[in-house]
Amino acid sequence: MSVSELFYKLNVNFNYVVAMTLFIIGLYTLISKPNLIKKFMGLNIMETSIFLFIVSSGAIAGGKAPIFGEGVGPETVFVNPIPQALILTGIVVAMSTTALALSLMIKLYEQCGTLNADKLKELK
Amino acid sequence: MKKGLVVFALFLLWILLVYTVIVLPPMGSPENPTNTHIIPRYLEKGVEEGGAHNLVTGIILNYRGFDTMGEVTVIFVALTCVLAVLGRENILRHTSKAEVSSVEKSVIVKCVVRFLAPFIILFAFYIILHGAESPGGGFQGGAILGASVIIITLTFGFALVAKKLSLKYRVLFESAGPLSFFIAGMVAIFCGQNFLTYLLPCVAHTYQDFVRHLLLIMVEIGIGVGGGAAISSIFLAMEKVEKE
Repeated sequence: MSVSELFYKLNVNFNYVVAMTLFIIGLYTLISKPNLIKKFMGLNIMETSIFLFIVSSGAIAGGKAPIFGEGVGPETVFVNPIPQALILTGIVVAMSTTALALSLMIKLYEQCGTLNADKLKELK
Repeated sequence: MKKGLVVFALFLLWILLVYTVIVLPPMGSPENPTNTHIIPRYLEKGVEEGGAHNLVTGIILNYRGFDTMGEVTVIFVALTCVLAVLGRENILRHTSKAEVSSVEKSVIVKCVVRFLAPFIILFAFYIILHGAESPGGGFQGGAILGASVIIITLTFGFALVAKKLSLKYRVLFESAGPLSFFIAGMVAIFCGQNFLTYLLPCVAHTYQDFVRHLLLIMVEIGIGVGGGAAISSIFLAMEKVEKE
């Protein structure tokens, strides 16, 4: 594969590259930060990157939002609606897990007085 | 040392992922495997079968109604778990951060929120009710509804919101999402159809479309109001009691 071909591919799939980069940033935050809230922020960034990836996979160049109404003819190109419907589910699940995790952290802070994972490991 | 190792390992993973991206089919092409499987059928017959001009709403409420019912249940279960961990808010022993805070809330913030809050709530209901015709739907409107409650709580303090949005009434709305799905499904079963069928043959032919639209709107309102109530309840439960 030549260099110009490589750059062409990266340019066409730019959304995917951004999604992968966001995924790595989120994973780095998840691994390296000791604070539990920051860890969860990292997890949320990872989730967002996956949403971007899946919604991008349903894109069609020049496509409109899949809404039938005025100004829509038989030749209109629509983007793929299924990834959008799936991601709606994903967003709701992400919000629910975030709410539950934050409430657990509130209780943890009340009990232990810290949210630092390294310090929490030392507590018995 | 440890940090450098982590960064190095993640860099290798990034290279691997970007290599995968390079061999993926080009984004935006209609011939991609993701865009050829079942989409032509949805685009051709989705409006007729789904009963909504917004194809995404048609898919989540009709083709994938079971999936969305599970999703609504997920919100409800999350609310239940949060309440099991934290407990309901207690007005009597409550002193919220917004009131205790030594920094006075700026007049500008108060005025802007007081001016905008009714419009935000109106917009939320517009999004919920127009989900079948235009961009939007129950989940999006419910999120805006919950956000409006959150911004009012942050600006005017917990006590006001807990009084105006009394627990007595909020409890009724929290389970609206799963309940509306249950009712819509049961209506179909009593008509001799499968669970969550919206096109009912026991209704006169001319009214079938109207009844289907009515059921869709009912489910949308259930999702929206239920989601908004759940989000605001989760937020209000998280308001911290200051330790004396």
